[in-house]
Amino acid sequence: MKVLRLAKDKLDLFASVLQQFGEVHAPVRQGEKFAFRRLSRWSEACLDYQRTILPPKKYFLPQRDTLFEYKEGQGYVPVIESADRRIILFGVHPCDIYGLNILDMVFTGKYVDPYYQARRKSIAIIGIDCTPDEHCFCRSMRADFVDHGFDLFFKDLGDRYQVLVGTALGDDMVLATGPLFEPATKEDFEEYKRRSSEKRKAFKLDVEIRDLPEIFEMEYDSTLWRELGERCLSCGSCSMVCPTCYCYDVVDEVRLGSREGRRTRSWDSCLFSTHALVAGGENFREGRPARIKFRYYHKQRGFVAEYGRPSCVGCGRCISACPVKIDISEVINKLRGMENVTA
Amino acid sequence: MASKHKILIVDDDADFAEAIASFLEANGYQVLQARDGSEGLRIAKAERPDLVLMDVMMRERTEGFFTIQEMRRRPELKDIPVFVLTSIYSQVPGFRITPEASWLAHDAFFAKPVNPAELLEKIRQFLDRPSAKEVNS
Repeated sequence: MKVLRLAKDKLDLFASVLQQFGEVHAPVRQGEKFAFRRLSRWSEACLDYQRTILPPKKYFLPQRDTLFEYKEGQGYVPVIESADRRIILFGVHPCDIYGLNILDMVFTGKYVDPYYQARRKSIAIIGIDCTPDEHCFCRSMRADFVDHGFDLFFKDLGDRYQVLVGTALGDDMVLATGPLFEPATKEDFEEYKRRSSEKRKAFKLDVEIRDLPEIFEMEYDSTLWRELGERCLSCGSCSMVCPTCYCYDVVDEVRLGSREGRRTRSWDSCLFSTHALVAGGENFREGRPARIKFRYYHKQRGFVAEYGRPSCVGCGRCISACPVKIDISEVINKLRGMENVTA
Repeated sequence: MASKHKILIVDDDADFAEAIASFLEANGYQVLQARDGSEGLRIAKAERPDLVLMDVMMRERTEGFFTIQEMRRRPELKDIPVFVLTSIYSQVPGFRITPEASWLAHDAFFAKPVNPAELLEKIRQFLDRPSAKEVNS
């Protein structure tokens, strides 16, 4: 992997030239929080941010997506909205890149989702390192470092960035900017190692995930699920902000008075009361305890069985978004019989 | 007729903009001025100029670059020719824009200080073509 350096005071020039590869989107301040948006000027970008409200998932799996349209006489008309819109996501944290790598397993693995795949091809990823806050436990989930899933990755070294080139597209981006980038030096590597060690120490939350599927197996009948179900509002906020929750609902929208319409899909959540409702009125997870339990079991146990790792990346969004303060790290520690354990 | 053409100057340097505006007005053009990218976009949308002369380093060092991209994204502004007038080469050593730089989506590039005669000649090439007004209307 090619390793370069870029002086911080040249970042705005790099971002300008980058526009030849597509629209530049980056975290932008939204009140007290941050959201990925298209930049209309470089100063809107906040690269020193905590987490964005929604993860980059929203670009690849939009909240609402038209799958196809249908018309009498024409049959099905395939639609992949904005698939040719070239976008550069600038400033994606490692956990969110890891989240996209997990979505890749689901949407480009055994069954390929053409809508997701088309957007994955048209959206470039420029990652950036971050500093953990009190809700981050990406290190526990082994998602604090990524070695693939980005075109370029920036690591803060003070007055400069160490830049990893991850793909041929990333290399093209570097070449297009002429002499802005320089080869990384031994000094840069030393500084990177020093900062990497500091980052490790900055984590306040630690969640032990080894043997977690077994613990979940043992605690299937735990009273904790009922307690959580009584607190949970089934609002689905944790699913909406999760970088790896990918459940969606499919609806046919027929235009009134016509013989045409479209099929859309939109985000769904296993916390919603209708998620497991099937024809005939049977609901497999009618109560909130069953639904919140299902969410935990799918992310921490079922996904491990299918893909070899939990689908949680430890971004902390579900902790910060939950209106009744259900905290995944506390839930896991309680299941382990290790209440109030912190790093 | 050149007198019917509107030129928008987007530049935070009022002295420079005023000097160019006077020169262009003396040569029969109607001139509008904006002091930053946002104002430039607002005036461009309202007035539909035939040509924009865009500075780069305004409130932000790369403001002109982003403003041009914004123009190119808006259907009502995307076909307006843009000339870049900038001193970025002298301000940022080593930074160069190649003549064929497609990312900049510009129609002509002038490093400041600008030779007014050369600028006028280029403007005439763009605006006094028989079809220029139709293309941009």
